[in-house]
Amino acid sequence: MNPLALLPELLILAGAVAGLLAGLYAARERQRVTAWINAAALAGAAATAAATAATALSPGTFEGYVVDAATNVTRLTVTLSTLLALCLMAGRARGHARESELYTLTSLAALGTIVMAGAGDLLVLVAAYLLASIPAYALAGFAKDAPGTEAALKYYLMGAFLGVLMLAGVTLAYGHSGATAYSGARAPAVAAVLLLAGPLFKAGAAPAHFWVPDVAEGASRPVAAFVTTVPKIGAFVAAYRLASEVFDEPALLAVLAAATMTLGNLAAFHQPNVRRLLAYSTISQAGYLLVPVAVAGRTDLAAPALLFYLAAYAVTNLGAFAVVVATGTDTLADYAGLARRSPWTAFALVVCLLGLVGTPPTAVFAGKLLMFAAAWDAGYAWLAVLAAANTVASLFYYLRWIRPVFVQEGSGRRAPATIPLLAATASLALGIVALLTLLP
Amino acid sequence: MNPSPWLLPALPVLPAVTGGLLLLLGRAARRAPAGVAAGVPAGVAVTAAVLTLALAVHAAVTRPATPVRLLPGTGSSGTGSSGTGSSGTGLTGDGLLANGLVVDGLSAVMVVMVAAVGLCVLVFAAGELRTARFHGLMLLFVGAMLLTVTAGDLVLLLMGWEVMGAVSYALIGYWWHDPARVRSGAVAFLTTRAADLGLYFAAGAALAGAGSWAGGAPAPDGPAGLPAPWRDLVAGGLVVAALGKSAQLPFSFWLSRAMAGPSPVSALLHSAAMVAAGAYLLLRVQPLLAATGWAADLVAWAGALTALLLGAVALAQRELKQLLAASTCAQLGFMVAAAGVAAVAGGAAQLVAHAAVKSLLFLAAGAWLSALGTETLRRLGGAGRRYPVVGLAFGVGAVALAGVPPLSLWVTKDTILGAVREPGLYAVLFAAGLLAAAYSAKALAAVWRPGPGRADARELTPWERAPLPVLALAAAGFGAVGLPGAFEAWGRLVGDPHAAAPSWGGLLLSGAAALTVSALTVSALTMSAATILVRTPAPVTPLPVGAAGAFLREWMGLERMAVVLVARPVLALAGALARFDDRVLDAAVTAAARAVRTLARTAAGLDDRGIDAGVEAVPRAGLAAARIVRAPFETGLDGLVRAVAAAAGRLGTLARRPQTGQVHLYFAQAAVALTLLAVAFALLR
Repeated sequence: MNPLALLPELLILAGAVAGLLAGLYAARERQRVTAWINAAALAGAAATAAATAATALSPGTFEGYVVDAATNVTRLTVTLSTLLALCLMAGRARGHARESELYTLTSLAALGTIVMAGAGDLLVLVAAYLLASIPAYALAGFAKDAPGTEAALKYYLMGAFLGVLMLAGVTLAYGHSGATAYSGARAPAVAAVLLLAGPLFKAGAAPAHFWVPDVAEGASRPVAAFVTTVPKIGAFVAAYRLASEVFDEPALLAVLAAATMTLGNLAAFHQPNVRRLLAYSTISQAGYLLVPVAVAGRTDLAAPALLFYLAAYAVTNLGAFAVVVATGTDTLADYAGLARRSPWTAFALVVCLLGLVGTPPTAVFAGKLLMFAAAWDAGYAWLAVLAAANTVASLFYYLRWIRPVFVQEGSGRRAPATIPLLAATASLALGIVALLTLLP
Repeated sequence: MNPSPWLLPALPVLPAVTGGLLLLLGRAARRAPAGVAAGVPAGVAVTAAVLTLALAVHAAVTRPATPVRLLPGTGSSGTGSSGTGSSGTGLTGDGLLANGLVVDGLSAVMVVMVAAVGLCVLVFAAGELRTARFHGLMLLFVGAMLLTVTAGDLVLLLMGWEVMGAVSYALIGYWWHDPARVRSGAVAFLTTRAADLGLYFAAGAALAGAGSWAGGAPAPDGPAGLPAPWRDLVAGGLVVAALGKSAQLPFSFWLSRAMAGPSPVSALLHSAAMVAAGAYLLLRVQPLLAATGWAADLVAWAGALTALLLGAVALAQRELKQLLAASTCAQLGFMVAAAGVAAVAGGAAQLVAHAAVKSLLFLAAGAWLSALGTETLRRLGGAGRRYPVVGLAFGVGAVALAGVPPLSLWVTKDTILGAVREPGLYAVLFAAGLLAAAYSAKALAAVWRPGPGRADARELTPWERAPLPVLALAAAGFGAVGLPGAFEAWGRLVGDPHAAAPSWGGLLLSGAAALTVSALTVSALTMSAATILVRTPAPVTPLPVGAAGAFLREWMGLERMAVVLVARPVLALAGALARFDDRVLDAAVTAAARAVRTLARTAAGLDDRGIDAGVEAVPRAGLAAARIVRAPFETGLDGLVRAVAAAAGRLGTLARRPQTGQVHLYFAQAAVALTLLAVAFALLR
């Protein structure tokens, strides 16, 4: 047991605590320093995670916590995505009365997400679920306005309900096998469904997806970007571990994947509010992400497909939300003529939306390619075909957003392009690198 | 042997890239303040030309070779040095299609000549034409020409050849506001382009020939070693392309049209570069011509007849530039004939000497045209006295062109005549030489004749004057290489070691004849030499009069002939084919499409009825589904798409129905869904 292997998690925790303490004593106009503290902790966590991954520093298992390649990739993805989200938040929260709390809550939610991914014991999973959820509830209602409060309440109630179901699942599994460690626990079908309730809630997958559109619309835009993106990463890795170790229900997960992607796509069709549109889009993406979870243990491609798709999705989705943050408007009609006003922002939007469709050479394309290959390889051809059909259908509502950007004249303010462009570039670069490695 | 391999590619690339940049950035530069930007393109162009000349001299001294492999699996070692002749199809002896860039003796002479004349012309143009477009195109042209003369294989040659042709079109049509000039450019371009097809044909035949004989014994002497049918096809294609580019019969008329361009363009394209490329190509592949047996004779006679007939055409012209153009054709005829009679050294000497002479004459003509606004011989009286530097330089050039001793063309022409063995051919070429003396004298007399001073004439800038003495020096002195003693060394340089210097007897004979004819012409044109001295203007009487004169003045109706014999039949054939396409092929396609559509409609009808029947069988879903499905099928595919979209939209609305916004309903739905899943999968076990 090498405690250094937990350095990334410890760094984030230290950053969150230090940020909170600094925020207590810093003057309101100097609260920005807490953002830097949290960001530095996240960056340090990313660096140590990369170092751990590169040097294979004591890969192994603590009691109930696994440090392996999947955990390391999750650490990297979560810390970097959270940094991007922090950039989005910092731009809007300057001078806010509770500015430091915003960053601390974000860091803690990110920490919970990572621990969820690394959990190797059902009880750790429950604790991580709570750590990932409770700061996110607070974040959703952070603005203390009516829509935010309502969103936070719905988010909390859904989380509490499904968390209780998950706890029931843990109880059932423990009663059935007498162990809570993944290596020993075995869950029958009913316990599997109940256990999945928690990860499905965090991932925003059917039938636990109801909170996603409400929170995406009600919370402030940077928070919406964070909570619809980052917690998913840990949730899917946790589901993957459960599906490959604790129970063996590929058909159940395949049905969930199919339902989630189809429902999300259909609901996004005629959505006039871009935040709700993105929310449904993230639901459909959750459906695609469930495909490698469903085929976990049946093909070697499942883990790479899931981890790469998660990274690709995180950066691309954050990029799309970054455009919404930059433009400051939620109505589809307000995007008319964006290409004229702010060509670079429009470019980033197009890259991210086409990326979410899965257009080469963006990262999600490579992720989808891996996902299709994994489904095909594991004998779930029908799932791959359904995912492909859904991908084609999804083009419709993404294009509904892209078209006014170019063809119509419109009035509105110019939108800064830095962060959207950063995310779009990252998405493109990740995709090109992946394709270059995949192709030969 | 090859100290810096990048220097050779830099030779064509430097002017081409600089020219391209000038073309691209010229528009932006024009927006800059006029005082600052006006001289920039010219300055850049002259600087690039100086660097190019330095590179050319360096290449000529070091003789580098850079292998460039463009086609897989062809050619041999790729070392590409001249004369190694390992696989035997290259222009210089190596692989015909994979040699890269090579500078051997002949190329060395050509690159220095092209770069030097290019520099002179660009310096001259700096005083007159200042747009970035002009200078960019000229540099691009120089780059293409340098690629052409350093190409070691047919593929690179084609590249240079093509760019050269395209840029020549842009340069001839430089004043594009005038539709007549643009049309002239098109005529010139299309004519050379039609002949260029020969080069493609030759390249294809060479590739086919080399491919068909891969693995066989390497041929000892370049393209001449190809097996019989391919060798003749290659030679035929090359001859057509070269005759076209060099404006030989029957293609000569395009050079008359090319005079629509600015004079500096003619000074480069129609002296040292474009037209010279054809002669250079023939000199380069002389062993191939000789090997076929027929091509050498064909080329010799084509050149000789061009020299004679276009000489007569030149004599009949009334415009200075037209006279010079026809004389260019005639002089190139000598070089082409030289390739036919295996006088490579003589042909090369004639090429260089003529380049200097004709470039000089065109620049002088251009200077007068821009200063006096006329190039009609009748109105150029006094021009030589008004601008003495130009007049003297023009005089040197014209006397050299006449073949009067001791200037350059006198010697170089005799190096060719000395190699001719056939009496008939010799007689034709000798007569052509006499005609050259006559038309040169006519031009000389026209400009040195006293004439009225023109008040509106402008002064020439130093830029315009500077290159003329340099070129005049070359025009006068280059004949030294043809003198006995020096000529053997020249022959070794250009790869013709058996070249024999002209005999003193022949030199004396032709010199005396040229002198006599020139003197007779001048006196016939001006009544008496005394009129020049007493400065009384005398009308210039055109020598050939009447119908024959008009025929010659119109370049022997060559263009009309080409239009009637080639252009119109081709257009008629194209029209017929287009009608065939419209009425037969297109009709068939349309009919097929209509049949398919009818079939589709029938199938849709069947489907319609089938689906309807199916729908009726399900009473509850019937009405709604029929409304979605039936109507679209009546309007075809469009309706189908719309139906899918509408159905998806309805499903979308349906999919949003659970999103009530009420938490207790969320709870209920999640609980029901999870319960159903749990029950289903527990029971499935």
